[in-house]
Amino acid sequence: MTQTIIWTIVIISVLGMLLALVLFFIAKKFKVEEDPRIDEVEKVMPGANCGGCGFAGCRAFADAAVKAPNLDSQFCPVGGNDVMKKVAAILGYEVKEKAPMVAVVRCNGSCENRPRTNSYDGYPSCKVKAALYSGDTGCAFGCLGCGDCVAACQFGALSMDPVTGLPVVDGTKCTACGACTKACPRHIIELRNVGTTPKNTRRVYVACSNKEKGGVARKACKAACIGCGKCAKVCKFDAITVADNLSYIDYSKCKACGQCFFECPTGAIHVFGFEPKKVEPKPAPAAVPAAPKPAPAPAAEPVKKEVDNG
Amino acid sequence: MAKTTFRIGGVHPDDAKVSRGCAIEVLPLPQTVYISMAQHLGAPAKPVVAVGDSVKAGQLIAEAGGFISANVHSSVSGKVKSIAPRKDIAGNNVLHVEITVEGDEWAEGIDLSDTLVTEIPGDRAAILDRIKACGVVGLGGATFPTHVKLNPAPGSVAECLIINGAECEPYLTSDFRIMLERPKEIVVGAAIMKKVLGDCRCVIGIEENKPEAIESMSKAVAELGYPGIEVLSLKKKYPQGGEKQLIDAVMRRQVKSGGLPISVGAVVQNVATSLAVYEAVQKNKPLVTNVMTITGDCLPVEKQHNYQFRIGMPLSYIAEYAGGVPEGAAKIISGGPMMGRAVANMDACTVKGSSSLLYLSEGATKRSEPGNCIRCGRCADACPMGLEPFFLFKLAKVGDMDQLEANAVQDCISCGCCQFSCPAFLPLLDQINIAKGQVLGILKARAAAAKAAAEAAKK
Repeated sequence: MTQTIIWTIVIISVLGMLLALVLFFIAKKFKVEEDPRIDEVEKVMPGANCGGCGFAGCRAFADAAVKAPNLDSQFCPVGGNDVMKKVAAILGYEVKEKAPMVAVVRCNGSCENRPRTNSYDGYPSCKVKAALYSGDTGCAFGCLGCGDCVAACQFGALSMDPVTGLPVVDGTKCTACGACTKACPRHIIELRNVGTTPKNTRRVYVACSNKEKGGVARKACKAACIGCGKCAKVCKFDAITVADNLSYIDYSKCKACGQCFFECPTGAIHVFGFEPKKVEPKPAPAAVPAAPKPAPAPAAEPVKKEVDNG
Repeated sequence: MAKTTFRIGGVHPDDAKVSRGCAIEVLPLPQTVYISMAQHLGAPAKPVVAVGDSVKAGQLIAEAGGFISANVHSSVSGKVKSIAPRKDIAGNNVLHVEITVEGDEWAEGIDLSDTLVTEIPGDRAAILDRIKACGVVGLGGATFPTHVKLNPAPGSVAECLIINGAECEPYLTSDFRIMLERPKEIVVGAAIMKKVLGDCRCVIGIEENKPEAIESMSKAVAELGYPGIEVLSLKKKYPQGGEKQLIDAVMRRQVKSGGLPISVGAVVQNVATSLAVYEAVQKNKPLVTNVMTITGDCLPVEKQHNYQFRIGMPLSYIAEYAGGVPEGAAKIISGGPMMGRAVANMDACTVKGSSSLLYLSEGATKRSEPGNCIRCGRCADACPMGLEPFFLFKLAKVGDMDQLEANAVQDCISCGCCQFSCPAFLPLLDQINIAKGQVLGILKARAAAAKAAAEAAKK
């Protein structure tokens, strides 16, 4: 009995040592030479593997960053400038600072603004719905409301507002990875600068994507951009262009003065992060929509609630 | 001869042809018609009239906009009020010509009499030109321009012309009615197409649930005595009216993946197309009328109709004329219940290929909560194209385009058999349709790139 146990231990130990030796030589012979900096870079990455940078994951990004001659064409939207600085320090490159971005929903077609013309009872997916028809409202450009973007967000930054039927972006959680912009079949979600300067979080945008003529757009949705161009006229910084009956504010030029907000007759322009001041006192704009929001709006009108779509 | 059907898959929905006894009635003209410029497969037609022009019924108002495209004619006489985008049945903007109806005057040279013209013109090219000029498209559902289909690429030979009288979609009876009421015209149309294709064999395939149609068509074939035309009774199975399924049922040949019917020597045309060809060639009448069924499970039999409509009539006008939308209609569908699309916009207008207004009750249209796939394989058994819908569904969900292509998602004919047979109520077709669109896009881009590369190499 004792002998059996002793022999077992001896045989197993010898076998173990032999196999260890084999593994040692194999590991040496087939060793893959890899730049140790890839591991280092990967360590400082956020590790979300979201693909927002355009690579398959954080390691693929690290691999590409190490091989690239500079970091101009690479940016980790999740980690932002902090991570990019760390990466640059490891690789000895210089990195240009990029303004932080945030996802913005360019539609304000809430249940109140945009009446339903038919009801959709098919598979609850925006992709499926968009492939079938123009949607359950009169607007063929706006949010379809099935929440493909919410499902695409890995960071929990998007949620569907049950009252408006529109997605709401939580700016504190949004990493601007861009997954929602790709998931939306209507392409209404856009990545925009968080603010005019890194410290300033003011932003102004047109919360509409409808390219139809004013009358048609307005019939479908009370808060639609009708392409009247008043905002473009009032803008001192040449940041607003109107094309295809739709106004667009170029965030690289916009100084967030908020004048266009007052000028907009339909309330399609939204401001975030500040209370715009009127240059000349005018009677309060009639068309500022008291957009229904889940929480009661703060007393300071006419600023809309701050989580408003971005 | 034993009755045949296609060999792979298929399902047996209740045929519900309640309106089979309703004779075709002619709809009166509305005050305004809106004629779509995109009522055929391929490029939209280009308008050739201007606002304010007076047009007559049957007058050309838009020219074909490409090789695969078709002419569009005015269906009424009156004044062109506007040429502007308007929402189609799915709510998408499509260019429409709006015509205010004034009287009912037809363009010159159109024979509106009922006399049967059995003498077939001799010149093949002239027949094709006439079909092209009259804007005839396939009326079986796909609205593919007929003159393109009847003119196969050089080198391919048509061995058999199949006239599709299967009408396998439940509820629809428009094809059935025309086979009953205008069988001789259909047979002459078939003889014309047969001649164009070089005097091949011609088979008129009709499902056995329409014995009156089989009888009427057989009688017409016998009376007219054109050689080489026969009527074939087919076992009832959905989707018998699918081009590839009908070829298999009639010729026992299978079109390979990505191939056209002509690759196995077949050309398939619907009975309504055959009638349109007859009217175009023998009567010089462009395709401006067709027959549609007003039916549904929540519509009493006495309110069901088969109407001869003119293109451009608003659906709301037809629905109102037929007695309004019935109470209890949860969904209005244009087309059959299997492949038709829900009408999102009742202001949309009829097009050449309109086949029905189908009112379905809540019970017939309600979707059950999807469960989990239990790999029972019913969908794979039901698929008439021999695909594996459960697997394609899984691939479509993760978006694996290479695997989807390898598993032939592009061969899907969107018949809905998989979804019909799924015991877990999975949205198989919804997902597969999207994946199919994406894969077809990739294939198209690849073909275009290959063509460009070949041209570059030539230079």
